[in-house]
Amino acid sequence: MITTPDLIESLVAGAKPVRRLRPPVARAVLWLLFALAIVSLLAVSHGLRPDLGARLGRPLFVTGLAASLLTGVLAAVAAFIVSLPDRSRLWLLLPAPALALWVSTIGYGCLTGWVGIRPDSVTLGEAADCFATLVLTSIPLWLAILLMLRHVALLRSATAAVAASLAVAAIASTALALFHDLDASVMTLMWNLGTAALLVGLGSAFWERMFSWVASR
Amino acid sequence: MSSNPHSYDPDLTLVADAAPNSATHSRSGEGGRAARELDWSIYMARAQGGDRDAYRRLLKDVTPYLRSIAARHFQNSGDIEDTVQEVLLTVHAIRHTYDPARPFGPWLVAIANRRVVDGLRRQGRSRAREVALDIEHETFAAPQANLAETASDGRVLREAVDELPPGQRDAIRMLKLQEMSLKEAAAASGMSVAALKVATHRALKNFRKMFGRQGGKT
Repeated sequence: MITTPDLIESLVAGAKPVRRLRPPVARAVLWLLFALAIVSLLAVSHGLRPDLGARLGRPLFVTGLAASLLTGVLAAVAAFIVSLPDRSRLWLLLPAPALALWVSTIGYGCLTGWVGIRPDSVTLGEAADCFATLVLTSIPLWLAILLMLRHVALLRSATAAVAASLAVAAIASTALALFHDLDASVMTLMWNLGTAALLVGLGSAFWERMFSWVASR
Repeated sequence: MSSNPHSYDPDLTLVADAAPNSATHSRSGEGGRAARELDWSIYMARAQGGDRDAYRRLLKDVTPYLRSIAARHFQNSGDIEDTVQEVLLTVHAIRHTYDPARPFGPWLVAIANRRVVDGLRRQGRSRAREVALDIEHETFAAPQANLAETASDGRVLREAVDELPPGQRDAIRMLKLQEMSLKEAAAASGMSVAALKVATHRALKNFRKMFGRQGGKT
């Protein structure tokens, strides 16, 4: 085993100048700009949902959309903050109010729209299209935040994983609401909460492995 | 990452000609700790810019502190040193995440705690799967192999030797108890080497009979 003084000498010998990380909020803004670019590209290629104008007149839809967007923004900020070793884990609670609002709008929509579900309200084609939107939004966002947070591999990766996955899930869900008119309540619930839970679960499960892979590059 | 290393140079330039080591060691108490952390913060800021001397001084200065943190959780000096080295490696790998505008202590302690937790987990895993072998542990599973020798065993053996016929008794005493060679024993007793071998063989056979009688087994 190498002795500690020898280790220090070898570290010093390999010490090159490093570029300091920008403040976490600035890095979160960078990531959100990237998210905006992805969603805009999708809007250009896919087109917004036809009834978006009418939907924007409904307070429940607007509240839900704003809450999911806010959850995404705040979760991204929280992810970049908790990724630094000396910041409190309590920052994880930052997106909690927005998340609660988002979940409650979905729940409310579910209760009031329950009667309106028809078996033929969602076709397989629509569902596949939805899934494509979801994948096209979440994968680049996930890879980007993974790269930006790669130093977390050596620190509290699970904590950052929850916040980062929630950010990706919330942004992807916002994109879904803009592009697809799947408002049948069960579908909304499934897509929104289901995908959020799936992304957070997958993200947390594979985060550490992905991080150690990215960090070793 | 290092394309433009000087664009984030800090405004901190306090330690240009201070004597940091002596200053660090002469301080004590809360004020001393704050001053020490300020030194560390400045060293790290300079190390981020590529100043190797400041980096060496920083790593050497924090090592005893890290050792004291590790020693709170580990008893084994090897584990303590392993943890210290892992903290140093982590500090090196993520030194770009340190912001000199913030105190250095919490940053370092957070990393150290992380590595201590990793070390404790590793220790927990290895303890769950491995058993440390101490001298008093069994060498073989069979119970007979692990009977400790007691004073009474020696007495029983001496009595058994006394019971042997004289030729066998002399052979056993010289060859086994006094550990003489066959030639030495032959010279001392006047018996031939072959006769000594035969006497020893018969003596061991007699022992087997005697102890087999006592223990129920041969």
